[in-house]
Amino acid sequence: MTSRGVSRRQFLRTSAGAAGVAGILASGRAPATAQTRELSFLTVASFVPDTDKELKRQFDEWGAKNKVKVRLDIIAHLQLVTKKASEVQARSGHDLTALGPGLGDADLYYDYLADLNDVATDVAPKNGGWLNEHDYLIRGKWKLLPWWMPPFPMAVRTDLLEKIGEKNPDTWEDWLRIGKKGKAIGHPFGTAMGHSADANVTLLSIMWSYGASYVGKDGKTITINSKETRTAMDFVKRLYTEAMDPEVLAWDDASNNRCLNAGKCIGIHNPISAYESAKKDKVVVPGSQREIAEVIDHVNTPRGPVDRKTTTGYWCVGVWNFSKNVDLAKDFLRYHFQPENLNKWVEAGHGFNMPFLANLTKHPVYKSDKQYRHIPDVAKVTVPPSWPGPTTAASQQVLDLYIIPDMFAQYSTGKMTADQAIAWAEKEMQEIYAGRRRKV
Amino acid sequence: MSRSRARQIRPLFTLYLPVMPFVLFALFPLYFMLITSFKKNAELYDPSSIPFLIQRGVTFGHYQLLSNETLFWSWFVNSLIVSVAATVISVVIGILAAYPLARMRFLGGDSFGMAIFITYLVPPSLLFLPLSTVVNRLGLSDSLWSLVVTYPTFLVPFCTWLLMGYFRTVPKEIEECAMLDGCGRLQTLLRILLPVAVPGVICAALFAFTLSWNEFLYALVFVSPAELKTMTVGVFSELIRGDIYYWGGLMAGACIGSLPIVVAYVFFLDYYVSGLTAGAVK
Repeated sequence: MTSRGVSRRQFLRTSAGAAGVAGILASGRAPATAQTRELSFLTVASFVPDTDKELKRQFDEWGAKNKVKVRLDIIAHLQLVTKKASEVQARSGHDLTALGPGLGDADLYYDYLADLNDVATDVAPKNGGWLNEHDYLIRGKWKLLPWWMPPFPMAVRTDLLEKIGEKNPDTWEDWLRIGKKGKAIGHPFGTAMGHSADANVTLLSIMWSYGASYVGKDGKTITINSKETRTAMDFVKRLYTEAMDPEVLAWDDASNNRCLNAGKCIGIHNPISAYESAKKDKVVVPGSQREIAEVIDHVNTPRGPVDRKTTTGYWCVGVWNFSKNVDLAKDFLRYHFQPENLNKWVEAGHGFNMPFLANLTKHPVYKSDKQYRHIPDVAKVTVPPSWPGPTTAASQQVLDLYIIPDMFAQYSTGKMTADQAIAWAEKEMQEIYAGRRRKV
Repeated sequence: MSRSRARQIRPLFTLYLPVMPFVLFALFPLYFMLITSFKKNAELYDPSSIPFLIQRGVTFGHYQLLSNETLFWSWFVNSLIVSVAATVISVVIGILAAYPLARMRFLGGDSFGMAIFITYLVPPSLLFLPLSTVVNRLGLSDSLWSLVVTYPTFLVPFCTWLLMGYFRTVPKEIEECAMLDGCGRLQTLLRILLPVAVPGVICAALFAFTLSWNEFLYALVFVSPAELKTMTVGVFSELIRGDIYYWGGLMAGACIGSLPIVVAYVFFLDYYVSGLTAGAVK
């Protein structure tokens, strides 16, 4: 170093420092070492608030361990469609996102979801394996992880069964008989037949139970026009006219819960949410002091002449591939899907949130209340809504446009003959599967 | 019956009774919201109860739920901040846009006015997707600024159109007098036209505030953190859980949410009516 000038080393050090500061200012970002890593997760509000609290606890715990700032945003499930669309449009938003209901998002957003093959492979063995692995693969890839489902048993009023001299029903014909008797004393059977997710679930269950389906295994052939569909439609028409009130045509997903908890319906096809809310709110049987939760029982989803099958909302979780934190997001998924964490999460949700993993279907929570005893049985016969075909964007569109409920409603209300209603549904589905109909 | 007595009774038949059905029709939703928010859940579920009356006692539980178990008051404040800011911005821009369109003749003026009107007709459900890209590029996602910036996209056209109509009702001559006395355009606008046009401005502000306060879609799409949500989205997110609707809580939220609008309209009702009617007849 000279006394009047600047040494070469000093010059280089100063220049490097200045260049660094200039770089930081130009990029508008702190250097990597100073940056706080952030991970955001968008999910839907669970029916059981404790589920969300437990998820948040795990997310915070994982964030603290890994020095990652985490943010869990919770929205109503009805808002998720809009949120997903806007995040994909902007290629920005949350890193992790809830997807569904249904596996169709994996096909619809195939180009925007990160592959989760590695995570799916890691978490399965620790939890006894996936229930039906092939159902969840979309175009042969894990574009999402199936997260939880609310299985659909039948909720029935035991006091009313006693009154009409019946026992717990098992088949759809049993339900028709009970519904008729119940309706005669002012307590009809209730299942939505309008534009609601519950309507899709129950009417598909009936179709499958009578041997019908709307798409073949190849995921291309529309199979709705069949003898079996006609039989199922005749059954639903009888159920509608003889055992239900016309209001079911206008029901949303909350209506059947309300009907049961109001003491009106003798039975509904629904997850355990109606029972749980009746228990929480201490709703009583009208005209008595007896709590309605005490006279509700849950039985398996009904069997038909051919099969016993049902479906439900397949709630999934995925990682946007435009996220800057794909690896972090995968790491959290691995953490959340650890058996001890999933166990705590299912416990918090009272089993309403059953994961698609074999060991979790045997969770002790399902033995903690007599009401939950059939839920693992229901899970065993639960298939995706497109069954026996694969889940695609087209199959999701059939659900989203409520073609199945509309077909049944047109015939049940006498607006169309069975042939007309089936021909209408067949044409709609063919157009959707041929891609001629604009996506919703 | 004396003539004075007849004069007293006459309004009952010519005014109050004819208006009564409309008043009942308008107030029914508020009444139903209010009594639902005070009913116990057991009564809400009971189909044999009379829906228009509270028969099994009043509960404040739904209001407690809102206050203690949700971030309701943060959402309320967020709605207030966003609505006031978006209203002020939109009314100022609306005044500046409406004045030349109403008063000055320039090439394309009429087409420009029409274009503003057409912009107002484009529904937010079409705009939210491209706007989400814009908001993201501006780096405003997940902040209240995203709403303050986007709400004027539908408020400014509305305010401009309404104020154009109102400004045209103000005689040109008083402005011309002001200009003869040496006022410039801006001075004429600020010192002469605006004081005369206060009812129109208040009417535009009231409408803008109401539209902002009730807005749902942009607030849902552009803001995710719970503490930054506006009231419309927050209440909906927290009190609809799967297939369980917390009707009492939802109605309590709706009741409290109506208050600022009710207060604003009560204070400025006369301005509002004169603002609307003056703009309408020109």
